[in-house]
Amino acid sequence: MGAIETSPERFIPVFDLEVTREDLDAVAETLRSGWLTMGPRTIAFETEFARSLDCSYAVAVSSCTAALHLAYLAAGVGPGDEVIVPSYTMAATAAAALYAGATPVFADIVGVDQPVIDVAHVEALIGPRTRAVVAMHFGGYAAAVDELADLCAARGISLLEDAAHSPMATLGGRHLGTFGLAGAFSFFSNKVLAAGEGGLLATDDARVAAFARSRRSHAMTRGSWDRHEGASEDYDVPGLGFNYRIDEPRAALLLSRLRRLENDVARRRVLTSRYRRLLQDIPGLIVPFTDEMVATSSCYVMPVMLAEPSRQSALRIALREQHQIQTSLFYPAVHEFTAYRARYPGVSLPKTELAARSEVTLPLYSHMTEDDQDRVVAALAEEL
Amino acid sequence: MTDLQLSEEDIDAYLGVLESGWLTMGPRTRAFEETFAERFGVRHAVAVSSCTAALHLALRAVGIDEGDEVLVPAMTFVAGPAAVRHCGARPVMVEPIGPGDLNLDPDDAARLVGPRTRAILATHWLGYACDLEALEELCSEHGLILIEDCAQSITARDSAGRFTGTVGAAGCFSFFSKKQLAVGEGGMILTDDDAIADTAASLRSHAMTSMTWDRHRGHAETYDIVDIGFNFRIDEPRAALGLTRLRRLDADIAHRRSLVRRYRERLRDVSGVSIPWGDEDVERGSHFGFAILLDDEPTRARLVRELDADGIQTTHYPSLTALTDYRDHPSRPRTEELAGRHLLLPLASNYSERDVDLVATEVKRIMATSAAPAG
Repeated sequence: MGAIETSPERFIPVFDLEVTREDLDAVAETLRSGWLTMGPRTIAFETEFARSLDCSYAVAVSSCTAALHLAYLAAGVGPGDEVIVPSYTMAATAAAALYAGATPVFADIVGVDQPVIDVAHVEALIGPRTRAVVAMHFGGYAAAVDELADLCAARGISLLEDAAHSPMATLGGRHLGTFGLAGAFSFFSNKVLAAGEGGLLATDDARVAAFARSRRSHAMTRGSWDRHEGASEDYDVPGLGFNYRIDEPRAALLLSRLRRLENDVARRRVLTSRYRRLLQDIPGLIVPFTDEMVATSSCYVMPVMLAEPSRQSALRIALREQHQIQTSLFYPAVHEFTAYRARYPGVSLPKTELAARSEVTLPLYSHMTEDDQDRVVAALAEEL
Repeated sequence: MTDLQLSEEDIDAYLGVLESGWLTMGPRTRAFEETFAERFGVRHAVAVSSCTAALHLALRAVGIDEGDEVLVPAMTFVAGPAAVRHCGARPVMVEPIGPGDLNLDPDDAARLVGPRTRAILATHWLGYACDLEALEELCSEHGLILIEDCAQSITARDSAGRFTGTVGAAGCFSFFSKKQLAVGEGGMILTDDDAIADTAASLRSHAMTSMTWDRHRGHAETYDIVDIGFNFRIDEPRAALGLTRLRRLDADIAHRRSLVRRYRERLRDVSGVSIPWGDEDVERGSHFGFAILLDDEPTRARLVRELDADGIQTTHYPSLTALTDYRDHPSRPRTEELAGRHLLLPLASNYSERDVDLVATEVKRIMATSAAPAG
């Protein structure tokens, strides 16, 4: 025992990606095909992803930021418009509004126990220039998009969803990312469905899908694959587009991993429920969301909130240095970043600010062991 | 039309990264950037998601903003002018020199310089360097910034022997599937300017003061966001692929060059076919594409159709002024004329001399058969 206990403890990362033989084979086969530009694998992945969401269209892109940008443009967001966004999110949610020439207007969250956009605050912020409202499903737990959908419909504005965290998550049996005009998904390395860099726009609106498809590849009326397949070389460019393309190796990897996503998320739910059980007796911790919500969440991350925010930084350092446990911070408040404070001074969102100062993100990934989980819980109990 | 052949070494490099489980920009991206910068004798290389992203960031980094004008060739892919517009600026279309050199004409550029002109975006089209000396002179005369679009010109040199992408304030490269150095989607900014490199590196990842890799290594607890940035990141598998393919790049381009020499020899005396650029340009070029000029647009249409019937795929570029989204730009007659009668014949690293002979023979045969007399 002595020898084992004195040996340095293994490092537990905040997230870890497991790539299987199947994944590697799918990518190897793609690389050997010599066709890397978006083509049949991208189409197959889009078809499968749309089916998994039970929605009509999926458009794979280079990142969730790109998907958000295209979603805002598709909703008609432009110069002079306002987009209501959460501040308790990754900054891309707000930045994409600025790309479109619009102004992000920050809404507060419900509270540290429910860190998703507050519908009442959104309603209060809607003004004559509001063009869209963006809900972000923090950690894979649903924001009140059902209520927001009604509110937006009544006010004649678009609801968009930042579903970066929430593939496979549902609300009332309906997939998150399908409540609004469009949903933006992320396939960044640490996400539940990861491919390095990648994203996707999901929509039931044929016009939005066509717009996103066009603009992700410079609004060219024909792509490389069409031309490879014998379409004419002539093309037009009817609008301002971008290079927001994904490529075939990443699409092949995503398609392979999508087949395991349901199992991966199921495992995340088991681990999350177990975390919640083990953490409930540790004083000074608030575990956001409810036990019931776990079953319909994608359980992307495991956030905890400290009753004493002043301990946030010290706790994270202690976990890393004394216990070899990596944590993260989801998220600093967007409105408090230098770039946003300079543009929008005087924004005050007390609940968001409290959450940003209280949050510690614990390690969670689908192949995490119970032993490692126990170590995280024990370390937290010791430090608190 | 172009096929990419990846070696087992390339495939192993890509898969090795996937197996490692670390896909976000990290040590391989750093290695790719350092090797790339060293290869061209430049201080900084910043890997990004595409050449469009590289152009956007390079233009942003040199301060291109709303109300500015940037001179761009009218004969180019739409990414260049799009990147200018992504910065809120207006692209101003420059004519090509002429049938012997399809790159932008420094004299026409000089005529188009106005009070709002801030920069020249010089595209080294098909892998042939622009007249960089003339453009440098024009830039210094008018206080303009030179940005090089090297999407098609990796390792090409100008008449003074300098690598394209190392002369202007920044050079922007593409690693799109069809390019000489292909990873699927990807790009790179090359610059000697520390401030441009810093800005580009910051803006490619949301202007965050620390990245996932640093936080993974325990170097930072949190981060600030100091500007409005983007997600223009590449990832580790693509960086690893770029790194292994970089080792074969010279050999691939030498092969492309030998194919171009052969095309030129085979098509030299074909009536109704002329070939832009000279033999010395071929030696300095890096041969993304091989262009010929026909007498007129109907002849090209006939050649395209008949080659297509033989299973030979060709391509050509529209003049930017012909695109719906650029209709408000004044006509550029020289561009429109050359756009209408140029044609790119098949060219790729894995093509053989036999493939070239086959295409050249077909072109010769089709051109020898006169078109049905009109009317």
